[in-house]
Amino acid sequence: MEEMILKLKQEIIEVLNLEDITPEDIDNDAPLFGEGLGLDSIDALELIVLMEKNYGIKLQDPAKGKEIFKSINVMAEYIQKNRTR
Amino acid sequence: MLQESRVNVLSVKQISIQKPLTEEWMTNPEIHTENFVRAIDPDFRQFISAGDARRLGKLLKRALATSLSALHEGGITNPDAIITGTGFGSVESTELFLEAMIRDGEQMLKPTWFMQSTHNTASSLIAIHTQSYGYNSTYTQKGLSFECALYDAWLQFGLGRISSALVGGHDEMTPEFAGFMRKAGHLLEGEICSEAAVSALLSTREQEGTKALCTVAGVEVLDSPDAETLDHAVRSMIAGNIPDAVLTGMSGNATNDGYYHFLKKTLPEVPLLRYKHLFGVNFSSSAIAFYAAANCLGKGFIPPVLTLTGESVSCSKGILLINAVEGRHYSVILLKPLCGKL
Amino acid sequence: MAQNRSVSITGFGIVSAIGVGKQETLDSLLSNRTGIGRLKYLKTVHTEFPVGEVKLSDEEMERILGIAPGTPATRTALMGMLALHEALSDACLGRGDLLQAAFLNGTTVGGMDKSEQYYTDFIENDTRNEYIKSHDCGSCSEMTADRFGRFRYITTISTACSSAANAIALGGDMIRAGRADIVVAGGSECITKFHLNGFNSLMILDRELCRPFDVTRAGLNLGEGAAYLVLESDESVRKRGVKPIALLSGYGNACDAYHQTASSPDGEGAYLAMSRALADAGLAPADIDYVNAHGTGTPNNDVSESQAMIRLFGENMPPVSSVKSMTGHTTSASGSVEAAICILALRNGFVPVNYGWTNPMDDGIVPNMELKPSCRLRNILCNAFGFGGNDSSLILTATD
Repeated sequence: MEEMILKLKQEIIEVLNLEDITPEDIDNDAPLFGEGLGLDSIDALELIVLMEKNYGIKLQDPAKGKEIFKSINVMAEYIQKNRTR
Repeated sequence: MLQESRVNVLSVKQISIQKPLTEEWMTNPEIHTENFVRAIDPDFRQFISAGDARRLGKLLKRALATSLSALHEGGITNPDAIITGTGFGSVESTELFLEAMIRDGEQMLKPTWFMQSTHNTASSLIAIHTQSYGYNSTYTQKGLSFECALYDAWLQFGLGRISSALVGGHDEMTPEFAGFMRKAGHLLEGEICSEAAVSALLSTREQEGTKALCTVAGVEVLDSPDAETLDHAVRSMIAGNIPDAVLTGMSGNATNDGYYHFLKKTLPEVPLLRYKHLFGVNFSSSAIAFYAAANCLGKGFIPPVLTLTGESVSCSKGILLINAVEGRHYSVILLKPLCGKL
Repeated sequence: MAQNRSVSITGFGIVSAIGVGKQETLDSLLSNRTGIGRLKYLKTVHTEFPVGEVKLSDEEMERILGIAPGTPATRTALMGMLALHEALSDACLGRGDLLQAAFLNGTTVGGMDKSEQYYTDFIENDTRNEYIKSHDCGSCSEMTADRFGRFRYITTISTACSSAANAIALGGDMIRAGRADIVVAGGSECITKFHLNGFNSLMILDRELCRPFDVTRAGLNLGEGAAYLVLESDESVRKRGVKPIALLSGYGNACDAYHQTASSPDGEGAYLAMSRALADAGLAPADIDYVNAHGTGTPNNDVSESQAMIRLFGENMPPVSSVKSMTGHTTSASGSVEAAICILALRNGFVPVNYGWTNPMDDGIVPNMELKPSCRLRNILCNAFGFGGNDSSLILTATD
């Protein structure tokens, strides 16, 4: 799981172009949206694309993203359960 | 059209194939020999945080940096109007989205690329960043886009609706699109395909602690004028006062250059100037012309690099700017030096 | 004073999913008939999205226009030509009249319908170079206008969904400032794979027929179309001996300055655009008889626009409806397509219905569901709100 979390953080940094951030900077339990990393609705859409591209998980409803992207840990758990790739 | 108050150019900033955000090109220009040259970018971190920059392509970063720089120098935080001209918009994002769409069978496409590719993104970005709720528009008329934006600003000033406007001309290029420009005949042999981002801050009010560069005395844009109409447009613009020089878009492109030489009949003895040999050619070239002329007037002289003779020309009466596009569209702009108070 | 100069509308033309020309459009509106259905013309994998296509193929449009097969033409320009032809005929304008006139066109996709088809050819060979020339927005406007003659001034506005509205407003400004006596203004936009996929990536398309201002709304349906209004000064109207069919009595432009693709929760930009239009026309909210809302059917727009309207009209909300569940969202052309529909409403005395609406929002307006035939409308407020917070409103007024 730890390896997967590191990979996920690197993918998020790349896809969202978070130039100044390293995986160590992202706390696994910190909120990704609002405070914490301060991501917004467009970033959420980019993460939905990331999940489909890298893990084969298709999300039809963007509102579901709010729960899944709560934190790195929540996101990693969801991916682990639902990945098809 | 009579202006009740004069429209002054408080500041104009550029990012181009010359050193960015400076006028160093006037005395020490970069010399380019390749036929496609990308702009020289400043360190954007002095204007834009990493967090904000993450979603911005080059065109948007340049539009924002030149805008913030012009606003800062002109001493205005929220202009009454933000009006942008761009011929092609964010080419890089358009290309990325289009190529991914074709390659990946219309699946899993990045929304950020699509968002950036709509042409009005620059105008809105500046408004969002500065929290400006005023008049906001974007013009996409090829090599005339900047003039169309300026013309709108001119109208708004004339109708008494605004007292300040940020007017921009921004275009970027990729190697692929540079190839397209040549295939479509927008660029000819000998012309350098380049990029440009220009933001000009205009105002009818005197700003404390700031000295304006010059005054906008007239703006005219014409589609397919005959020789007589064009001649008349030039003559009415100058109204009997011969300018110091005419800044033309001459670049070795016979379709357009022909007219510039015709100008010698309308304005004999008036030196012709050129700028495309320094700044290259793109759909926002005319914005560079505006920038160059405004800064010459601000400094009171026209440097040898712009003249055909290689000699400096003094600048106390005004500069007429003429842009010919595809031998069909023409813009005529007159910039005059400041004389005394408003 | 320039500001008070009257701007007359002396003709218009329209093409959309609900009709080619004014008569068909009027029939659809009066019969409450939607033009949204399954994709027929655009070649895309995303056939799951209902769309409002103009019911003509490119070839059929070329045949109607008498354009020789093989002549380079983009769908946006073809639709534009159909609408422009009708507008010029309606206003009795000939080739010679255009020499001193302006053509102001709103479009954001330009020639993308062909560029996306031939992109690989653009790179690999020289077989489609004429379509590289027609890719950009400005070229699209020229292609549309050139068929009818040479104008004195042509420009293109690309402010996403408010493009055509801004073109009309600019036309009003040119006439008020005495810079032109005749201006043809509006917009045209065809559906492309580019923006169908773009909107899909933003997850704002509905897989069902859209339901503006309905609590179950889930997104928009894309549409396509073109419409142009002929605007004239009083002097020109007198000189040509024509009769205005409506007045452009005011307009307002504001930036929401909130987000590139979402509207602010309190609808600040929308509120400012509508307020400025009213102030420009010298009217009070109580003078508005009908609001043609932007009403896209997205969760975001409809709540934001509702909030803005509630702030503006308070307890005295006039009838409001969105026609986008009939025409689809015609994006850059929507400002002029819907302005044309408003003129039909003024001239024929009816209030367009918010087709497909059933359930009220908790925090939104309740739209108009009755045609109200033979009603007398005096002033109509027409909204067009674009990505990037480019918000514009027009006010169309009946002639006496």
